[in-house]
Amino acid sequence: MTVTVLPPGAGEVAAGTTRAALRRNFWRGVWRVLCRKPSRMAGVVIVVGFAVMGVVGPLLYPANLPRDDNALYAAPSLQHPFGTDFEGTDVLALVVTGARYVLLTGLATAVITVALGTAIGLFAGFRRGGWDTALMRLTDLNLAIPGLPLLLVLSTVWKFTSPLSMGLVLGLLGWGGVARAVRSQTLSLRERGFIEAARGLGLPTTHIIGRELLPSMAPYIAMNMLIAVTGAVYAQVGLFFLGVLPFDANNWGVMLNLAVFSGGALTTPAALPYLLAPLIAILLLTLGIVLIVDAMDEIFNPRLREE
Amino acid sequence: MITGTAITKTFRQRGSVLGKRDVPALRGVDFAIERGGAVSFIGESGCGKTTLGRIIAGLETYDSGEIVIDGTPMSSLSHHRRQPYFRRIQLIHQDPYSALNPTRTIHQTLEAPLRLRARQTGRPRSWVDGRAEELLSLVGIDPGYVLPRYPHQLSGGMRQRVVIARALTMDPEMLVADEAVSMIDVSLRLGILGLLRDLRERLHVSVLFITHDIATARYIGDEGEVYVIYRGQVIERGPTETIIADPVHPYTQSLLSAIPVLHGLERPGSEQVVPTEALDEGQADAGCLFARRCPFSTDRCENERPVLSGDGTVQLHACFHPRRRSVIPQGVHT
Amino acid sequence: MSRDSAAAPGVRIRGLTVVYKTPAGELPAVSGVDLTLAPGTITGVVGESGSGKSTLALSLLNAVQPPGRISAGSVEIDGLGDVLALGGEELRRARGRKVGYVFQAAQNSLNPLKTIGKQLLDLGRSHDVDDLRELVRDAKGLLARMGLDGARVLDSHQHELSGGMRQRVGIMLALVLNAQVVVLDEPTTALDMITQATILRIIREVHEERALTTLVITHDVGAVAEVADSLAVMYGGRVVEHGPIAEVLGGPRHPYTQGLIRAIPRLSGDISLARALPGRPPTLGTLPVAGCVFRERCDRRMEICDTVEPEPVTHDGRTVSCHATGRPSPAVKRREYA
Repeated sequence: MTVTVLPPGAGEVAAGTTRAALRRNFWRGVWRVLCRKPSRMAGVVIVVGFAVMGVVGPLLYPANLPRDDNALYAAPSLQHPFGTDFEGTDVLALVVTGARYVLLTGLATAVITVALGTAIGLFAGFRRGGWDTALMRLTDLNLAIPGLPLLLVLSTVWKFTSPLSMGLVLGLLGWGGVARAVRSQTLSLRERGFIEAARGLGLPTTHIIGRELLPSMAPYIAMNMLIAVTGAVYAQVGLFFLGVLPFDANNWGVMLNLAVFSGGALTTPAALPYLLAPLIAILLLTLGIVLIVDAMDEIFNPRLREE
Repeated sequence: MITGTAITKTFRQRGSVLGKRDVPALRGVDFAIERGGAVSFIGESGCGKTTLGRIIAGLETYDSGEIVIDGTPMSSLSHHRRQPYFRRIQLIHQDPYSALNPTRTIHQTLEAPLRLRARQTGRPRSWVDGRAEELLSLVGIDPGYVLPRYPHQLSGGMRQRVVIARALTMDPEMLVADEAVSMIDVSLRLGILGLLRDLRERLHVSVLFITHDIATARYIGDEGEVYVIYRGQVIERGPTETIIADPVHPYTQSLLSAIPVLHGLERPGSEQVVPTEALDEGQADAGCLFARRCPFSTDRCENERPVLSGDGTVQLHACFHPRRRSVIPQGVHT
Repeated sequence: MSRDSAAAPGVRIRGLTVVYKTPAGELPAVSGVDLTLAPGTITGVVGESGSGKSTLALSLLNAVQPPGRISAGSVEIDGLGDVLALGGEELRRARGRKVGYVFQAAQNSLNPLKTIGKQLLDLGRSHDVDDLRELVRDAKGLLARMGLDGARVLDSHQHELSGGMRQRVGIMLALVLNAQVVVLDEPTTALDMITQATILRIIREVHEERALTTLVITHDVGAVAEVADSLAVMYGGRVVEHGPIAEVLGGPRHPYTQGLIRAIPRLSGDISLARALPGRPPTLGTLPVAGCVFRERCDRRMEICDTVEPEPVTHDGRTVSCHATGRPSPAVKRREYA
């Protein structure tokens, strides 16, 4: 039972290099996890594709998309892969330029939902007691707000021309579920040995929450974030489709609305591509996100990250 | 030096249809642990030994009594002022699997408390990495191998050593090891026990060892003391070797009788004691807490509760009819 | 509890290999194990984490779950034949009727939502027991035999029972269909010393009364030392030593057994002679492909250990797989301890 004392330098690990190496290992692990199933790669390709579309798309087309009065509701062709709309504008161009608003809203919603939900859930679960009770009542209140009617009312006074304001409203309406779930996760994690050990060592609360609790919940939070994006896409597209929001914004929901209510896509086959294009875009985006969500658990768990 | 006087703690059980029920976890326990000493709390699960350990580590409150750390009574301090005292007492968890954060490398796990320690003691940040390696070497593992790894890449024994190294980051006076080897592979247990003994000798850290397996208490070093706890009361106390070789309380004797005999190496003791019935924690006893299960109980035991006393020797017991019995296995020479 | 005690069945495991599918390919958790359980005896199997002892136990019921797969060998039980050749309905009926299994400390193997009595009736129905009343009577008898109030226990839910009581319920459920081969997986883990002693005594007594052939799987040498007749020591998926318990404990021959016994915290014996085994137990991924699996931790390692896996050699009724342990004279054929 002797304690082995190793010669100095036997285990030299310079702090700086460790951190860089960790980061490198993390990304290598992420790559490995993604390669494990082709479906995950497909998901990444789809989501990255949409992101590129959102960033670069509008730059590819002139601010006012060209119209062609000779080709209203033109059938799909090489020149117009998804045909044209009621004004003779290329449907594909509409989808591409509309992506930015949709994606920005989705992103803003997700960030706000997750940031608010996580912060409130963590705080309530970690502090417990009075704070917990108060914050959870607030959460109940949030969950009880009827989102759609409220949005309908809001839209009469607010035009939502900016995707960020749209995202802000959707985010403020949607954080309740995340807060609830994060709180229950926090409650179970805080009983774990390593959290108690951190408290016993006198480590500051910010460290315990930020470095010990949060990483353990990362897969969960990331998953919620991705799902919030799809939720936000549905919500705003739905609002535009219902026509409660003004048509100033170029949006997939606007396209759906026009296709159905003006183009008669449900009765005229000629307008069908006009209806299908934004639908396919939404479906693809959702599919891409769902395929990536599948990898989250493995990405954030160092054990599953290895082979 | 850490002492406790008349510590009591009652858990309130909820949820039963009949309403709340109070379960006494500790019924006035005294203890004293010297710097560099070794004290073992022995008892069955639910006897209060873990609760007492957590109270001593500052992780649990107590209802009454006083804990004095290095001459300072804790009751005289505010909650906030107490923390630096309790930080000198570090708990080693039973389960080395949940005691380390699975998402952090060992380097990260040790770095955070060491940074804090560097700040408290006015050392430069560069001290941290060297100290991490020093501590890992001290607990007998190769820092170069362990530091960049995640907990799941280490065996149970290595993890427990990392947990001990982490506790040492705060330069503690005492380690509270709660069943610290029960989840570790048999072939590696002695390594951990030996490490605790070694830390006592080298760093003068006291060790409070909490276990249901009295045999392991022998291995944390000389001059150790054993407290046998039964239903929240210390019923026998004395030097480790004395309590094992010459126990006088029937409960201690039944605990020792229950330890399996390695046939071929040992033969069983000749006067083994087996409790007459199973433990029922709910029962209210006016007399000795062990009387109902004790094969030797008398009327007096049923009606009067014995207190811990020593007849002027170092071996204390709470029994009206103390008697030595040969209960432990004897070694056989082959 | 008088029943027509037909002779206890013997169990012969031959060349059993169980592999687990991992990203690194199929790795053997149990590798070419030969083990004979003599009729009417209690055999203890001792091993650390990763020794393959639980996998071995599951193989006895042909119940290895994917990603595990029994890739070779046979498990012959008297009156039942090769368990590994059974399938579907036959296999299901054999479990419980012939081979009873008591799960690890029985803590998690009971349904928390049903009373013990309901679970007993479910068990009876799934095995087409005609007389459920008698089944309940048998169960109560068994529980009473183990010192419990049968009627009260059958009316209880799992959470109302203590660890020791649950363990006894587990034993009752394994025996109530008159199984004659009983496998107990870690029967005393998570139990207190006094409860452990009680459970061990019950195992021994019930074993003798019902003429069973019993296999006790554990990591704790002490727990089997008290009950077993013979002891098999597993390491890295192999049985490295097997023999009568007092002989194995009193004069271990394999360096691993020697080290393991030296490493047990004991009440008797010189503390200064006790020491932990160096190194750490192997995992599926770190098991060497060729040579002796124990060589990394062995103090008697030789050159041959790196390349040749030691064959089990039987001598004086004891089987040992080690190059360093003196080989018996060539006249002794390779035979297994039975």
